[in-house]
Amino acid sequence: MKIVVLLSAGLHPVSGQSILPKVEAQALRLALALGEARGRHAGPTAFPASDALGHGLPHLVHVEIPAEADPVPALVATLEADQPDLILAGRRGQGGDETGLAPYAVASRLGMALVSDAIAVERGEADGTVIVHQALPKGARRRLVVRLPAVVTVHPDAPAPRAFAYGVARRGIVETRLAPPGLPAAERLEERPYRRRPKLMRSAPACGSASERLAAAMGATSSGVANVMVNPTPEEAARAILAHLRAIGVLPPKAA
Amino acid sequence: MTRLRRNPRGERAAKAVAGGARIRFDLAARAEDRGRPRRDPRAESAELLIGGHARPRLDRSGAAGAAPSSVEETAPTAPKIAVVESPAFLIAVVPDALGERLSQHDRQLFGAARMLAGADGAVVALVAGEVEGLASAGADRIVAIGEPGYDPEGRAAAIAGALSSLGLRYVLFPETSDGGDVARRLAVLSGEPLFSDVEQFSATSVSRAARGRRVEQRAASKRLMTVAADAVAAYAGPEREARPEPVAPAAPIKRAILDARRITADPATTPLTVADFVVSAGNGVTDLALFRRLAEALGATPGASRMLCDAGLMPRESQVGASGSVLTATCYFALGIAGAPQHLQGVAGCEHVVAVNTDLHAAMIERAGLAIVADAQDVMQALIAALKEEGA
Ligand SMILES: Cc1cc2nc3c(=O)[nH]c(=O)nc-3n(C[C@H](O)[C@H](O)[C@H](O)COP(=O)(O)OP(=O)(O)OC[C@H]3O[C@@H](n4cnc5c(N)ncnc54)[C@H](O)[C@@H]3O)c2cc1C
Ligand SMILES: Nc1ncnc2c1ncn2[C@@H]1O[C@H](COP(=O)(O)O)[C@@H](O)[C@H]1O
Repeated sequence: MKIVVLLSAGLHPVSGQSILPKVEAQALRLALALGEARGRHAGPTAFPASDALGHGLPHLVHVEIPAEADPVPALVATLEADQPDLILAGRRGQGGDETGLAPYAVASRLGMALVSDAIAVERGEADGTVIVHQALPKGARRRLVVRLPAVVTVHPDAPAPRAFAYGVARRGIVETRLAPPGLPAAERLEERPYRRRPKLMRSAPACGSASERLAAAMGATSSGVANVMVNPTPEEAARAILAHLRAIGVLPPKAA
Repeated sequence: MTRLRRNPRGERAAKAVAGGARIRFDLAARAEDRGRPRRDPRAESAELLIGGHARPRLDRSGAAGAAPSSVEETAPTAPKIAVVESPAFLIAVVPDALGERLSQHDRQLFGAARMLAGADGAVVALVAGEVEGLASAGADRIVAIGEPGYDPEGRAAAIAGALSSLGLRYVLFPETSDGGDVARRLAVLSGEPLFSDVEQFSATSVSRAARGRRVEQRAASKRLMTVAADAVAAYAGPEREARPEPVAPAAPIKRAILDARRITADPATTPLTVADFVVSAGNGVTDLALFRRLAEALGATPGASRMLCDAGLMPRESQVGASGSVLTATCYFALGIAGAPQHLQGVAGCEHVVAVNTDLHAAMIERAGLAIVADAQDVMQALIAALKEEGA
């Protein structure tokens, strides 16, 4: 199985230094568990994607493009020649536009399927399939059987990346290729410095007195509507609690 | 106090004689316009007074004054439903609607769509299967897009079909794992621009954070948008029509996802911060073995107050509150917890709270949607018995 990992140039969320995004190092770990993998990066320099060599990547293909060019056509042009079975990418970039559209664009132009938010990938029982475990909100998972070739984006809940090793990084190979000429520039949106804004208070009533809004902001809902049972028998209380839990949907309905 | 208010200007104008170069008045004529009745501010504010307060309080929302007189007239008629008969344009919302019910995030999406629609446009809910509460959420029309279940490829293809056949002006998705996935598929499938993760939403422009929250990008509303949670308030107006609209079934497509199986989270190992249902013990719980049995029977993640964690009776990871975990659970079930401010901070994000406490005046009882004033041990025993009886 030919596996390619898409590695982008990210910025550290706190210091702003150029780094390999953590989720892509996690994607690399999933890829190496499946078999031999190659890295692919489109950008002006191989660094910081070349940090992946230290995390165990043996071979990185660096497609040289100008800093302001759209990386997708360059990636597609070189991937078309290689015909990989499986492409792993991060869920969102880090330090760029962070739209998460690049893997979708690559998948659609290569005619490959796409599965999002993987935390584990294993070979399927049938040939030409993989089993992808997908992370869902609230700790739930989904197990998917996917036909290859496919692009799989990796979720931050995936296993932590392999440790960086300097010697391994020295042994890795970086192969630089020139991108086809005439690449379009990426679309730029109007930008200004980020400004934090007050958070929407979900439970806050749109009107009401200042003390009611303060109470809502502190997490206390309007006390008048609360359903209070004073000194019920334990059985009564249990029935009321179970009925309430079922009404709000956290407990499955009673088995008939 | 029913003297009419005089309008001298109007009276003079009524007495004016037409024609002639100079203005002339017929002072003997009686003015027809007697003006509007004089206001009585004192009586009006007396009507707005609401009782039960030490200091006088006025309800200016219009509810108190209007209610007594209009009760008889409005009682027989059905609640008013806002209808958009022939909309000028359509704005679509694709809610996640997990388990066939709308989440808070889904409702906010309808709020955003209503803001874009104004009075002329209609909001179309694109849903798979029967979803409850669409009318009150703010949907004017309902269009079916396939069957319920995980099928992002089919869903994207169906919405792409609706995009051209219905001529949708905007399509809004929640920026969640499933909603965001379908939105991006649709963007590459239809070639339409996508503006993802909108944090600031207005009727004309949208903005989002980028480059690790160092800059914000702004643009005019794009055709496809995914909206972050808590960016817009949910729709709070009158109920809408939610009329089902027939559409042609989508053409079959080739799917690469051959099988999908949902694996529910194991409550015993789920971290507290992501758990959906947390049952938590405080100083009022003396029988912790019983508490653990209850957590297992309910399928809930066990938590605790700081008192129990400090005493070493529960592990530190299970502490809920300011110095423990801040929950995002749908439901929080508190047993024998007083509800100290530090504890309530951890529960602020929970939608529903159920409390059992012997003290009627505990802060936790005040916070709860269902509060039981009883001994926690007895209630736990009865709950386990009731669950066992149902299972048997
Ligand atoms: C800096 C700081 C940080 C803190 N951070 C946290 C935090 O993160 N999380 C946290 O939980 N606390 C925190 N605390 C502690 C907090 O202030 C309270 O002391 C603590 O939450 C109280 O826990 P409790 O409600 O279990 O106990 P108690 O205050 O003792 O309340 C016990 C409750 O159980 C009821 N009860 C008694 N017997 C029964 C019975 N048989 N059946 C039913 N009910 C019964 C009582 O009426 C009472 O309401 C913090 C405190 C400080 C100073
Ligand atoms: N220039 C690039 N070279 C290689 N992979 C990239 C590049 N840009 C983005 N990717 C991949 O696409 C994912 C999502 O990026 P983005 O669409 O920018 O949020 C990243 O996590 C990478 O795996």
